[in-house]
Amino acid sequence: MILTSANLVFIVTLTIMPFLLIGVIKKIKACFQNRVGPPVFQSLYNLVKLFNKDEILSKDCSWIFRSGPLISFSGMLLLCLSVPWLPLQPPVPGCDIFLFVYVLALIRFFSIISSIDAGSPFSSFAASREATLSFLAEPAFVLALVALGISAHSSDLALIFGQPIENNRIPLSVWFFSGLALFLSGIVELSRMPIDDPSTHLELTMVHEAMVIENSGPNLALVEWSYALKLLLFFGLIAQCFVYSLSKIIALPPLLLPLSVLVVMLALGCLTAMIESFSVKLSWGKNPDFIAYAVSMSLLSSLAAFAMNGGS
Amino acid sequence: MNDLVLILSIPIAATLLAIFCPKIAVLSRTVSLALWFYFAILVYLFAPLFASKQAIYLFAGLSADRIAAAFILLTVIISASAITQAGIFFEHELLSENPAENLHVRQFYILAMLFLLSMITVFFCQNLGFLWMSIEATTLLSAGLVYFHRSQNSLEATWKYFIICSVGIALALLGVVLIYASSQYACSEGTLAIPELIRLAGLLNIPLFKLGFIFAFLGFATKSGVFPLHSWLPDAYSEAPAPASAMFSGALLNCALYAIMRLCDICRASGHFAAAFSILLWAGSITVIAAAIFLVHQHGIKRLWAYSSIENAGLMLVAIATGSWSLFLLQAANHSLAKTSLFLLSGNIIQATGTKQLKDIRGVLTFCPVWGVLLALSAFAVTGVPPFGVFISEWLILNELMVMGQFLPVAILLAGLALAFIAVSVHLGQILFGVPKKNFRIFRPTLSSLVPGLLLLGSLVLGFTVTPSLLAVFTP
Amino acid sequence: MMNEVNLLTVTAAVFAIMMSGSGQSRTNLLLYAMQTFFIALACLAQAEAKGSPELYTVVIGIIVIKVLTVPYFLSWLANKIEARSDPGAFLPIPLTMHVSILLFALSHFLALGLPLFKGIGSVASDATGAISLLLTGMLFMLTRRFALGQIIGFLTLENGIFLFAVTQTKGMPFIIEMGILLDVLVAVMIGGLFVFRIQKSFEHIDVTQLNGLKE
Repeated sequence: MILTSANLVFIVTLTIMPFLLIGVIKKIKACFQNRVGPPVFQSLYNLVKLFNKDEILSKDCSWIFRSGPLISFSGMLLLCLSVPWLPLQPPVPGCDIFLFVYVLALIRFFSIISSIDAGSPFSSFAASREATLSFLAEPAFVLALVALGISAHSSDLALIFGQPIENNRIPLSVWFFSGLALFLSGIVELSRMPIDDPSTHLELTMVHEAMVIENSGPNLALVEWSYALKLLLFFGLIAQCFVYSLSKIIALPPLLLPLSVLVVMLALGCLTAMIESFSVKLSWGKNPDFIAYAVSMSLLSSLAAFAMNGGS
Repeated sequence: MNDLVLILSIPIAATLLAIFCPKIAVLSRTVSLALWFYFAILVYLFAPLFASKQAIYLFAGLSADRIAAAFILLTVIISASAITQAGIFFEHELLSENPAENLHVRQFYILAMLFLLSMITVFFCQNLGFLWMSIEATTLLSAGLVYFHRSQNSLEATWKYFIICSVGIALALLGVVLIYASSQYACSEGTLAIPELIRLAGLLNIPLFKLGFIFAFLGFATKSGVFPLHSWLPDAYSEAPAPASAMFSGALLNCALYAIMRLCDICRASGHFAAAFSILLWAGSITVIAAAIFLVHQHGIKRLWAYSSIENAGLMLVAIATGSWSLFLLQAANHSLAKTSLFLLSGNIIQATGTKQLKDIRGVLTFCPVWGVLLALSAFAVTGVPPFGVFISEWLILNELMVMGQFLPVAILLAGLALAFIAVSVHLGQILFGVPKKNFRIFRPTLSSLVPGLLLLGSLVLGFTVTPSLLAVFTP
Repeated sequence: MMNEVNLLTVTAAVFAIMMSGSGQSRTNLLLYAMQTFFIALACLAQAEAKGSPELYTVVIGIIVIKVLTVPYFLSWLANKIEARSDPGAFLPIPLTMHVSILLFALSHFLALGLPLFKGIGSVASDATGAISLLLTGMLFMLTRRFALGQIIGFLTLENGIFLFAVTQTKGMPFIIEMGILLDVLVAVMIGGLFVFRIQKSFEHIDVTQLNGLKE
């Protein structure tokens, strides 16, 4: 890994942006509720606080529970360094679509079994729900990426995303529908509204927050940090989809590209906050109906990819 | 322009009368008289048409040639008969145990008059777009007629009729659009006028035109109840009040088939009639045999006649397939006269017994011999027993097919006709004889058999007088 | 390869697909209005390309009648008879959406098979949107229980035909296009009236339960 200026930008953004995104979402939600809300970097302060705390462990749990958050954090860090979530070449090259998907699946696997290992019925129940949701949403997510891969004639993520505008040969419709599909499946994967309420762990919602209820201290800090990184990863890819589709309609200067992606990421944060303020959580039985829309968008995107591929 | 006013005047005046006339009894008598007067006006108007070959021109895209004039006269006769009978029908209806509301009768007259006007417009249209619109208008206006009784069953029948026919007619619109697209190859602007299309037929884009023909055929076939698009028809005919059923079967059926005939006009001019011929021939033959099979197991008296209408629609399609429009006209006229009489008589019987179920209607001959005899004769007329007109036209159609060498369709048609005759005769025997399960409440037996009797007489006259030279008047 | 009209027609078709994935009457109507709005835009683009003033009137007619009046009337009706959520018939509703995407792919191939009129610069993918709307409308009618859903499906089907007429021909005669619009308006009013009656006399508007006349 050579320290070029691009890499430097990448790493600096990687350290700040996740907390900024979470902070912006919380701030806007607070605004809609007529509250002042926490400072923007509150989640960073929380992290520091949590790392200084002691950890309380259940007497029944094994090494799986303790290593789960560590595995998910290291996996997420690896992805953040190798996936071009900013439109620049990532510091670690060569991340494939399938590597990406499988590392995400690996992380999910470990977080699920570690929450079951804690032995609390609350978190086990949440784990089973998490497994169901990701099982439903994953086809949409994979299909949307594959559609992009078909159009780009490559499964290397760095050749799909993070390309300069003039090299970009993926058609507008594929970008757009993939972006929508990634956004909708991102809502599921990131356990946001209307699938899951990230601010409570009540029995009504009981997905992500309930799953990590047994974690505390540094262990919890790692969980929260890896969640922030996951948010960054998804928002970066979704934002790029929309920026590239925009660049098909109006000409964007190449230098503006990373900046506009950052702006769109923040805008996505605003959108998420607005959805969370103005919509209600779907009942559990209605979730498949919502995910069906994600699948449809990815189906449309792969249709477009096939049709345009045949044409050009 | 004068002619246009003349044609519009009576139906519109009758509609206004139905809205404003205070008494239903006065209304029904005036409207029926007005319609017979209207018939006389139309005869006067169309008389020159039969003397010379000149078409009657009304308005841009609206004119009538001989065959259209004949269909219009037929439609008006059927409607006038149905409306005349409706006077007696509603008088009885208003006196019955749970009487119909005055308002509903008034609405019936308003809708019936507008419906008649839209049907007449269908025959005047010389433009596929107008033709489509007026056929859609017949659907929209007649849906209210089916709903006369305000019962759950009538609502269900109305909904089925409305939705299935709307979708069918939408497909016909697609067909019209495709035909328009095909005409862009022939002239730069594209056209929907039928005479223009016939003139340019050789230059049309044939694949597009064929596709358009198929869709338009599907649409209009839905409207005329061709198998397997017929599912709405028995329900609607059975639930509508008898005069409306008579108008549906005697007049509306012809409208949709007339539209198919107009399409065939263009098809023939383009020199690709062979494809249309086989579509029409097979759709017609299959409809005849399928309707005959359905006729065997029926539980409602009007459903029986409805399936017989489907069978006759199949026969008319075959008549169109033979390419002889006069044959189509003859079959349509014969069927309309006999079937109208049948529906009106059935209406009387249903009112007298208070049921539509075949198994509850027994002994009509003992209780009201006039109705019984007329019902039997009308049913025989419809199924094609000589000397009635239907026999002649069926015989001519089969003859024409034999000359063309289409032996398999002839065999199918013969089987269908025979089966239909047997099925109708069996049901008829059960209705006429036996001991009635319920009390008959016969209402004005003589007066209410006047119109059916006259219609039957008309059918008989057609059966005796039709000669090939008379038919030649209608060949363009 | 992508021209302006093409993008609009395909967008209209995508809105129809999204519409078929929802059982909520209000969402359906909103997406129907969006879909029709994009058809109006496609019509506007055609009007500019062909420079025909009559098409502008048609665009205004579409927006007033089909984008505003009809969805407003139907959502008023849905409120009045409390028809909120359609349970769906024959197919689960999310699956309907996926089938309609397959129909979209099918209509792409159907459109390629159509003989194209070269004179007006139309491309095959214009017809894709139109045929897809038509098929989606049919599927919608088949997979809904509510009488209201059948009206919406019929309107979508009719939209498809209208779009086909606008993109694949040089524009139908003006009087006929306006006549079609008027017909749609009247049909919706009459259909709405009957839906209202069905609700009153059956106390539901589930058309799959209307089988009193079955033999």
